[in-house]
This record gives sequence, structure tokens and C-alpha cells, in this order.
Amino acid sequence: MRRLGELEAEIMDCLWKWGRPATVREVVDDINAHRPAAYTTVMTVATILYNKGWLTREKQGQAWLYTPVRSREAYSAALMEDALAASEDRSAALVHFVEGMTDDEVSALREALRSTGRGL
Amino acid sequence: MNAAPALIGYAAVVGTLAPKVMLGSLWPQRSPVLAIGVWFALAVTFSLSLSLAALNVANPDAHLHGLLYSCRAVLGLGSSADSALAQAGVALCVVLVTAHLAGFAFHAVRARVARGGHRDVLEKVGRRSVHLDATVVEHAVPAAYCLPGRRPRIVVSTGAVDLLSGTELGAVIEHERAHILGRHHLILSGSHAFAWVFPGVPLARHVREQVPLLLEMAADDRALRRFPRGTLAAAMFAMASGEAPQGALAAGGRTVLVRLKRILGPARGAHPALRCAVGAGAVIAPLLPVLLVCPVGLG
Repeated sequence: MRRLGELEAEIMDCLWKWGRPATVREVVDDINAHRPAAYTTVMTVATILYNKGWLTREKQGQAWLYTPVRSREAYSAALMEDALAASEDRSAALVHFVEGMTDDEVSALREALRSTGRGL
Repeated sequence: MNAAPALIGYAAVVGTLAPKVMLGSLWPQRSPVLAIGVWFALAVTFSLSLSLAALNVANPDAHLHGLLYSCRAVLGLGSSADSALAQAGVALCVVLVTAHLAGFAFHAVRARVARGGHRDVLEKVGRRSVHLDATVVEHAVPAAYCLPGRRPRIVVSTGAVDLLSGTELGAVIEHERAHILGRHHLILSGSHAFAWVFPGVPLARHVREQVPLLLEMAADDRALRRFPRGTLAAAMFAMASGEAPQGALAAGGRTVLVRLKRILGPARGAHPALRCAVGAGAVIAPLLPVLLVCPVGLG
């Protein structure tokens, strides 16, 4: 049993890849190319994404046409902005490799590297 | 014998002088894991001394058995505690214990909630890289971090992938993996909780500041088991100087400098004898207040 998050990601992936509105049928066919997925399951998850505000939809004949609300790049930028925000609760939630530095700190760092004979 | 003044004096020494000794020593940087243990031992000692002092006020003549008795009394299981002072003492002890537990729960849950929303977006936007064993997010600013907890994730931006060489990226990911495997987020929540219960106490402030830095050093050490020092240092320098936005991210650069000097410096690992002595001290420190209240041979 795959988790809901994975199927959500697959649906978003298809729609971002195509860059045009698409029906649930098209998405199901794309997923079925590499693994089986039930139409009703994909339809349910697409509705969940619509309710969460990730997709918009409009009726075309009998079927809904789904479109991502924002581009993948826009979500990525917002995600990284969230990750890099130096707020109190972020520091506990996401453990960074390094924090950013000021110019003075960078030159102090370069000096430290030079003094150990490992100039960069 | 009323041990309360001695316990409060001991707490004062642990709360103010002990952090100064710790900050003045060189060994914590050489044995970061041991140092984290000592900081938490000091925290436990401080809380325990105050709790026992409060209980001792409640029941001055008793040793530990008597103190347990007065706890039962307050809970209505035995004869009732006789004075308002006694009840206040027991109440203070209960408040201290509860505050620690509540503080830990609060900080752990708050961090978890913050991660949950982030993870939801990450799962759709990020691309899992089997090769890197990490999730890659399309973004020009070099960034690397981890989402600990259940279903942990290591996240790197395409900016970081472009900036670093293959082995440098490996060292960064190994560092993040150390945070996840070591459950460092829970240790962080513990240090936040202690600082939250005792705002203004020097020990609490230093625990809050030192533990995150020591955790970074511990993760650096783990990365150094598999990667050369120069590789990790180069990755650290590239990442720290490459993160573009100034101002908002200015904090923390000093800690990178400390970590970098430590990686490149010659001294590695504290002497085993020193480690044993410090470890023994960390075990004895929290036991002292208990022995003070319950002298051996008087039981």
C-alpha cells in the first residue's frame, strides 16, 4: 500500500511535467505505464489536492480538467525560503549544515583556512 | 538537619560557576558527545537540587524516605502535610517536575508541527535521489538540512549540488545523516525545555547555546569517519560563504568558524583519563544532592 503523499507527488509531477490542464484519466494512464493504479484512487487524491489548494479544476464535458495552482519552481522557492528562515522554531525543526555568514565572517574563515595551509 | 540551604547553595554553584568552568575548558570541543552529557548532567543536578530543597523545606527532619512520605501525604495517600510551608514545598517540587515534562513536550511538538507542513510540500516538490540518498529541491541558493523524526529526509538544493564536488556533497550528507541517526532533534528539544523552565539562569542559557553547537561538532566527527578533513572543511566554507541573502542569515557564522578551526586544528580527541574523570564527575554531580538528603547509614 503506497502512502497518500507518494500518489499526491506523482499527480503533481505529471501535471507539472505536461504544463497543461489534464484529466484524471490522462494521469492514471501515465502512472499505469509503470505501475497499476486504480482510477477511483487517483480521482480521490486529485480531489484532495484540489481541496488542499494545490490544484484548480474546471469542467470539460463529463470530466474535470486539473491545473496546478503554482509552478514547481514557485513552491520550491517558498519551501527554501521557509527552510532558510532563521526563526526560533525553525532552528529546532530543521537542522542546517551551516548558517549563512556576513562578509567579515567569511574573511575570518578564509584567514583561518590560510593559516592552516589549506587555502581555498 | 535541614539540608535546604546546602542544596540551594549547591544549585547556585552548578547554575552559575559550572558553566564558566565548562566554557573555559578545551576538552568539550574535543569530545562533544561527552560534553553534551555533562551539560545535561549539570541540568539534572540543578533541577534535582532545587526539587529536593523544596521537599526538604516541606519536611526538614526527614531523609529521602520521609520525603517520599510527604509526597504521599500531599497526594492524600497518608496523613496530611501539616503546615502551609510544607505544602508549598511539595507543590514547588511537583511544579518543577511538571514544567520540565511540559516544556519538553511543548518544544518537541512545536518543532514537529513545523516539520510536518514543510514535509508536505517537500514530498511533492522534491525529487528523491537514490544516488545521493537525499531529496533534491530545485533552488539556486546552496542549502542542506535534515528533517528528523519518523520518515526522516535529508534535503539539498540544486544550488548545493552545483556548488560542491561529489565527495564534498557526500560529506555534507553524512553530516546530516549523523543528526538523524543520533536523534539530535530530541536532544535539542531537551535543551530548549530546560532553558524554558529556568529563564535567566546562566546554566540554562549556556545549555541552550552550547548544545546545538556541540551537536554540530558531533555530526562533523561522524562525517570525518568517512571523509577527509579537507573535504568537509571545503564543503563547509563553500556552503557558508555561498548562501546569498545577507542580513536574515547573518547569525551563526561564528559557529562555522569555530567548527572549521576545530576540524583543521591539530588536537583531536580528549585524553582517555580526562574523559573518565569528566564522565565520573557527570555521574556523581546529580547524586550529591540525593546523598545530602539521604545520608548513607542513617537509613
